[in-house]
Amino acid sequence: MNSYSFIFISLLAGAIAGLILASVNYFVAEPYIDQAIGIEIENTIAAGETVDFNELNTYRVWQKEGTFVAGAFLGVTYGAVLGIVYVIARKYLPSSDDRKKALILAGLICLALYVVPFLKYPANPPAVGDPETIGLRESLYTSFQLISGLIVLGLSVLLIKFKSVNNFKYLIPVFYVGLIGFIYSIFPANPDAITAPMDLVNSFRIATFTTMVMFYIVLGIIFGMMWRKYRPHETTRLTAS
Amino acid sequence: MSFVNDLRIIHKDQAPKLAIALLGVIAIISIYIVGYDQGQLFSLVQGNQAYDAMWIHEFTHDIRHAAGFPCH
Repeated sequence: MNSYSFIFISLLAGAIAGLILASVNYFVAEPYIDQAIGIEIENTIAAGETVDFNELNTYRVWQKEGTFVAGAFLGVTYGAVLGIVYVIARKYLPSSDDRKKALILAGLICLALYVVPFLKYPANPPAVGDPETIGLRESLYTSFQLISGLIVLGLSVLLIKFKSVNNFKYLIPVFYVGLIGFIYSIFPANPDAITAPMDLVNSFRIATFTTMVMFYIVLGIIFGMMWRKYRPHETTRLTAS
Repeated sequence: MSFVNDLRIIHKDQAPKLAIALLGVIAIISIYIVGYDQGQLFSLVQGNQAYDAMWIHEFTHDIRHAAGFPCH
């Protein structure tokens, strides 16, 4: 295994996918964020507080520019996660083509770390969220993500260990739905009331859900293409001419 | 005419533990920056003022919302 190629592929694929996500979000999600921040400002003014528009504009420029760097960081995170799981699970993934293997794994990670947590704790635009509950909400979201990921991991290990048992693979989706349903029911709901217009909240959720799923697909495609090109799992290729 | 024959490809299935550990550390640091920092990192050099400015939080603000992480 060529560790340098492995690290390079994981981080670069993630950074590129993250930059693509940020670029798409700039056009797809930013209009909703601007709209929600407009509502926040209206609420602040209605509450009798003063709004410093110069400071606000400075922050908005900082936030919009930051989106690209933050997107790259986000991509690096999930690129690293994909790389770690891929290097361990590669031999168990279906297909002989690394591009398909990577796409399948990126799909599973998307399901475990994004889609399922989203069902319980969907994304909210600015104007939704009480600063006092940020710690609780972060703990809930992270715990849900981790448990969801561990469930997929555990069931995957079971599937590999008992693959010789007849029809066992058909039980896995049943276990999965049961376990996810269980944690979904025991985790408390988001403690914050939604005070922004539901049209805006729903539009934001649809837009960001779409771009995040796209991000994982793009990550899987780029990672798989790079893995196929650089073949870090092949330590040495002896050749004769 | 030149040609190249692949004689043998050596596979080592051992997971590269050091590379995995390094990627794990990078993943934790980068997700902390994107999804969780509320001024803590800059407070190391800026003191309590960092909790008011929350530069990293603001810098990652939009992607934090868009990626589904809880925000203020």
